[in-house]
Amino acid sequence: MISSAASPPVLRTTGLTKRYGKRLALCDLTLAVERGRVYGFLGPNGSGKTTAISLILGLLSSTAGHTELFGLDTRAHLAPALKRVGAVLEGVDFYPHLSGRDNMRICGAISGGVEESRVEEVLETVGLSGRARDKVRGYSMGMRQRLALAGALLHDPELLILDEPTNGMDPAGMREFRDLIRELGRGGKTVFVSSHLLNEVQQMCDEVGIVKEGRLIAQRSVTDLLEGGRLELRATDTEAALDVLRSLDFVHGVTREGDLLVVDARHDRAAEISRALAGRGVYLHELHPQENTLEDFFLEVTTEGEAA
Amino acid sequence: MINVLEAELLKVRTRWMPYVLFLMMVGGAAVNMWLAGYLEWKQDPSAEFSGQAYRTFVFPYSIAVLLDSGQFWGSAIFVGILTSSCVSTEYNWGTVRQVLVRGQSRAGYLAVKIAALAILCAAFLLAALAVGLFFSVWATSLADAPITLDVRDGPSLPEIGLMIFRAALGILPYGLLAFMLSTVGRSTALGIGGTFGYIIAEGIGVAILQGIGGLAADLSDVALGRHAAGLVAANRIGSGEYNSMAFREFADPAKLPDPNVGALVILLYCLVFLAITFTVFLRRDIRVHQ
Repeated sequence: MISSAASPPVLRTTGLTKRYGKRLALCDLTLAVERGRVYGFLGPNGSGKTTAISLILGLLSSTAGHTELFGLDTRAHLAPALKRVGAVLEGVDFYPHLSGRDNMRICGAISGGVEESRVEEVLETVGLSGRARDKVRGYSMGMRQRLALAGALLHDPELLILDEPTNGMDPAGMREFRDLIRELGRGGKTVFVSSHLLNEVQQMCDEVGIVKEGRLIAQRSVTDLLEGGRLELRATDTEAALDVLRSLDFVHGVTREGDLLVVDARHDRAAEISRALAGRGVYLHELHPQENTLEDFFLEVTTEGEAA
Repeated sequence: MINVLEAELLKVRTRWMPYVLFLMMVGGAAVNMWLAGYLEWKQDPSAEFSGQAYRTFVFPYSIAVLLDSGQFWGSAIFVGILTSSCVSTEYNWGTVRQVLVRGQSRAGYLAVKIAALAILCAAFLLAALAVGLFFSVWATSLADAPITLDVRDGPSLPEIGLMIFRAALGILPYGLLAFMLSTVGRSTALGIGGTFGYIIAEGIGVAILQGIGGLAADLSDVALGRHAAGLVAANRIGSGEYNSMAFREFADPAKLPDPNVGALVILLYCLVFLAITFTVFLRRDIRVHQ
C-alpha cells in the first residue's frame, strides 16, 4: 500500500484499537484503501469487522489509533469527512411508519439536501421504485438491505463502506448487488465491503484484508491471490512421475496424496508436463487444473495454528 | 428537497402518538371546563364553591385555569411521553446510527431533535389550549356571561402572550428532563417513568418540607416544581380560586417563589439537563442493537 503524495488514500487506519474492559475487540488495525479500489474486509463472525467499521465511521471511540478519510483525521474532521461517505451498517433499520421514499428523503436531508429526482433515481437503481410508497414495516429483510444501499448511494459519495450488505438478499439481489459494486468501482468509487460470502468478495474486490480475533492477519491483492493455481494428476507410475516432475524447473513443488500428485505449476504448463512424462514412458490417467480460491486462502490463514 | 428540521418533523408528525396525546389533552380541557366548571356551577349557582367553579370555565378566567392544568399535564403527559418515545425509538430502530454516519454532528443531531420536539409540542399544546378556550367561550355563553377581556384584573392581548410564555417555561424543564433521561438511558420507560416519578416525588418532598416548616420549608424552594407553580400562579386573574386539574396545592402566590427568580432557576435546571445530555451523548459509543 503505497500512496502518492498528491492523493492520500481514501481510507487509512493507523493502529486502530478498541478495548471493552478486558476484551480486545480490535487490535492495531493498520490498512489503507486507495481511490477507485474495491476492498474486501473478511473475517469469521465476531472477528472485529463491525467494530472496525464503527470506529472508522466515528460511532465508537477508539482506545488507540486513528482513522483518516480523504486525508482528513476523523478525530478533528469527522462530520465533513462523513459527508463524502455512504454507509450500509449491519442491523441498521429505518423509520417503520414511513414509506421507503420518505425514509430516503430523510436520509437526503441529513446528507445535506438531495433533489427528489435523485431519490427516485436511487430507488430505481436498487429496484424499489414499485414499493417506494409502501411503509418500511412491510419490507422484507432483503428489501431493507436494498433500501440501505439506496440510502448509501443517495448523495453520490466518493467512498462506500458496506457492512454485510447482502444479508437477507436473494440470489438475484446478490448478483445485482455484485454487478453494482463492480460498476461503482469502475466508475472511480472506492468501496470498503465486509462480508462472509467469499465467492462474492472474490468476484467483486480488488484487494482483501482478513481479520481474526481483532487482528489483521493477511492483506493481499485478489489478482495475486488467484494467480497460479495447481494441477492434480494421476499417472501410470507414480514414483517415476514424481521424479520427472521434480526435475522440471517451472514446477515449484509436488505433493503426493496416495496416487494423486498435486503439482504447484501454472495451468498453461499442463501440455509440457504431459510431454515430459510421456518422454520418460509415464502416461497420464487424469489431469485436472485446480483454481486458487479466496476460500482456500481464507481458510488457510484463519485456521493457521488451530490444528496445533 | 427537505432540510434537517423538516426531516425531524416528518419523523414525528407521521406517528400516531402525538395525536393520541393531543386527544388526551383535549379530553383534560373538556373535563376541566365542563365537569369541574360549567356543570358544577350549574348544579347550584348559589352553593359555597360555585364561585370557584364559575371562575374555572368563564372567559377570560379560564385562560389561567387552562394554562395551569396544561402546564402540569402538558409536562407530564404530552411532552414527557412524546419526547421520551421520540428519543429512545431512534436507538431501538437503529436509526441514530443512520443519522450519525451521514455526517450530522452529534451536537447537531441533539439540537435539531430538541428544536423539532419544541415546535411540535408547542403546536399541539397551543391547539389543545385553543380547543379548551373554545369550550370556555361556549360554556360562558351558555351561562349568559359576557365574553370579554374587560373584567377586573383581566389581561390584555400581550399579557395573554406573557401568560402562555410563563406556562411554556414551566413545561420546558420537564421536557428536557425527559429528553435527558431517555437519551442517557436509551429507554422510553425510563424517560416517561423518570419524569412522572420526579414530578410525584418532588410534590411529596415539597409537601413534607413545607409541613416541617422553618429551614426545611426554605429548602423546598430549590425544587423545580415550586418555581413552575410560582410562574403559573403569576398568571392568575384576580384573587379568587378555581378548580385546576393540576395535582398541586392552590398556594397563595405570596408564599410561592417570585416568578422572575423562578424563570432564572428554571433556566438553570434546563442548562443542567442539557449539559448532562450533551456530555453523555457526545462521548457515547453507539453500537448495534443498543
